[in-house]
Amino acid sequence: MNAIELSGVTWRYEHAKEPALVDVDLAIPEGEFVLVIGPNEAGKTTLVSAIKGLIPNSITGVLKGDVLVFGERVESIKPPVLAKQIGFVFADPESQFTALTVEEEIVFGLENVGWPRETIGKRVEWAARITGVEDLLDKPPYDISGGQKQRVAIASVIAMQPRILILDEPTAMIDPLGKDLVVRICAELKNDHDMTIVVVEHNIEAFAPLADKVVMVNEGRVERVAPPREIFRDLDYLLARDVHPPQVSQVFGRLRERGLYRGELPLSDEEGFASWRTLPEGAAR
Amino acid sequence: MATNSAAGSSGRIWVVEEGERRSPGIIHVVMMALFIGIGIVVGTLGSLAIPIGFVSAFWPGQAVQAVGSIWFGAWGVIAGMFFPFISNAMSGSAPIPVSAAYLPANFIQGFLAVAAFKLLKGDPRLLTARDWTIWVVFGVLVANFVGAFWGTYVLSWFGLITDQARIPALLGWTFGNSIPSLIFGSILLKYVTPMVIRSKAFVKGWWA
Amino acid sequence: MARSEFAKKTLLGIVPADSPFYAFHPVTRLAFLFVLSVTPMFIDRPEINLAIIAMTFGLFWWGRVRMSDLKKYRLLLVTVALFMFIVAYLAPGDKAQLTPVRLVGLTLYWEPMRWAFVSYVRLMAMLFGAILYFSTNRERDVLVGLRTLRLPFQVSYVAGLSLRSAGMFMEDFATIREAEQARALDLDALSLREKVKLYTMYTVPLFAVALRRADEISAALYARGYTLSGRPGTGGKRTDYLRDKSVLRVRDWVVSFGLLGTFVVIAIVSRTTGVFSIQASPLIGFVEQLLGIG
Repeated sequence: MNAIELSGVTWRYEHAKEPALVDVDLAIPEGEFVLVIGPNEAGKTTLVSAIKGLIPNSITGVLKGDVLVFGERVESIKPPVLAKQIGFVFADPESQFTALTVEEEIVFGLENVGWPRETIGKRVEWAARITGVEDLLDKPPYDISGGQKQRVAIASVIAMQPRILILDEPTAMIDPLGKDLVVRICAELKNDHDMTIVVVEHNIEAFAPLADKVVMVNEGRVERVAPPREIFRDLDYLLARDVHPPQVSQVFGRLRERGLYRGELPLSDEEGFASWRTLPEGAAR
Repeated sequence: MATNSAAGSSGRIWVVEEGERRSPGIIHVVMMALFIGIGIVVGTLGSLAIPIGFVSAFWPGQAVQAVGSIWFGAWGVIAGMFFPFISNAMSGSAPIPVSAAYLPANFIQGFLAVAAFKLLKGDPRLLTARDWTIWVVFGVLVANFVGAFWGTYVLSWFGLITDQARIPALLGWTFGNSIPSLIFGSILLKYVTPMVIRSKAFVKGWWA
Repeated sequence: MARSEFAKKTLLGIVPADSPFYAFHPVTRLAFLFVLSVTPMFIDRPEINLAIIAMTFGLFWWGRVRMSDLKKYRLLLVTVALFMFIVAYLAPGDKAQLTPVRLVGLTLYWEPMRWAFVSYVRLMAMLFGAILYFSTNRERDVLVGLRTLRLPFQVSYVAGLSLRSAGMFMEDFATIREAEQARALDLDALSLREKVKLYTMYTVPLFAVALRRADEISAALYARGYTLSGRPGTGGKRTDYLRDKSVLRVRDWVVSFGLLGTFVVIAIVSRTTGVFSIQASPLIGFVEQLLGIG
């Protein structure tokens, strides 16, 4: 079953002349990890906002086409019900904080959904453990580091255990160590909890190895949808659109151009090391 | 020419267009909360900058009350009623019972401004002399006078000023508060209103 | 170790990291606020209100509040006193009915001066009660206290969001000021007119930021399933996890009822007897004797 289905979706923001999404068709099966890539202002955030129903429920503009979540039109799903279906982590974690302590922040969504006290307690414990924020529960969410803020934002969303998790540029505002932690959390959610995960990210390197599918968005259109290995095979296409595939893929891409490498482009450092061993002697020079 | 066309548009800002759907939403509640927050900051800093305690003079909080009410209708009026509770406590300006007694004055100081703009069809962007007159007369002078009238009554009721001091306190309060209201409020209306009326939080009626 | 090393910054000010007050339920602390800031209204005798101020300062000390943080109120104490006594001097009321007193070359009228003193002491007693509360309670405690009193969730939520946004705007304000200072702006060198202009120019971007934040926060609330009614998706009663976590213990009931009982007794005694009136004040009597009045 498709967790998400968009058909003929066109969206224009109020006061904007041009549409931000143009005739988008997209289907994401349940349980997939999808990486959404594209240049700046391509429409990536708009796309995931439409999936979450922020468009048109919270953001004004003109929408055409259908967005279905588990077969139901997203516009017609009540916010507390939708919150159980889809969790959304905003690019700026601070912009989503509305509570005075981390614990209250995590609890807020759970109370909205309507869980009883015991379940809330267990969920808070679980989400805090996965994201490593157990020691921050008593602190104000605005008074912690950038990486911690992002993990709190993720904790407050995954605590609801949504069937679909959307993360909009989750590593954009944090340090390298914080980025690694976020990637690790995503890997755990994918492997152990069977969530459908959609990540919008410029830091392709970190998420490409986790992705089942990559969605390339450009000028409001979904230009390509394919497994990562297939998408990153066409390096020129991506670089022409200012999208930078993983460094390791680029290196092996150049080796392939020179006829020194014939295999699939590696996506991670580990794959890169393995491919390196297959190179003919002297290729590194 | 510009003035003429502006005069023509005056008041239309409050008209709900055909097919336009407006209803109270989360954005209004959030904006009210944010405005209480702004009021706390502006009110506290104003009181600490000129620390004359429970007597309001040169208090920029009134501008927040009036302007917030003009932009956000009843939500702004409510915000203007309650932020002085916290800003007074934080700045040590007035104890809670005195703040509670000020409540009707805080209501009036916001309500009069928005009621005048809506009833007299003024444009909060202050496009014409008429808009300026509505703002200065009702949003600044009358609002502050009525607020000060009640406020000085409260002060004498609490025994904080003598009855004979009510008139000078009333005049001092009215004109003392009118100065920051006029400067601060006018700048906000002139420069921030164009942004506000494009936002979803702007209230054309009373609640949406 | 210095007390300051244990202080925690909150949106409302600074609270001690650890305080005996924290052993009480937030609603008990609200009872402290209510009683300390309202009781002086029923008391005219300045020595009793002075005793309440002394007791409040004792509570500051006991509650491990950093006394240096109270310094910011010093100027206010002086200006309020000056204002009240000047008003009593310049606008004393019907002079024919008042008792003139010659003091340091000035003719003062005793009754308005006495009333100014009585009111000033009362005001300070009420104010320090509120300051004590905000010096020993984090925002979360305020909300849990209000929710325990069954304030609707939406109202307490707006209160929390307001406090949070006040903190955000203070940070924004500080950032703008730091940026100005980094560009070598000397505030002392500015005239009052320039300062007013600068202050206003600070606040315009704050309002612009508020509009953006309103959009962001309402989107975040929608994303996490919040509705205007505050009712949960299941349609039943909303679970209040944080409120339910704080349990009212026996000591809370004892202290709360003790405080409220004391308040009620003082209010009744005040209204039915003259125990708390100026006439019963030995301090006022002593000053009157000193001035040769009555």
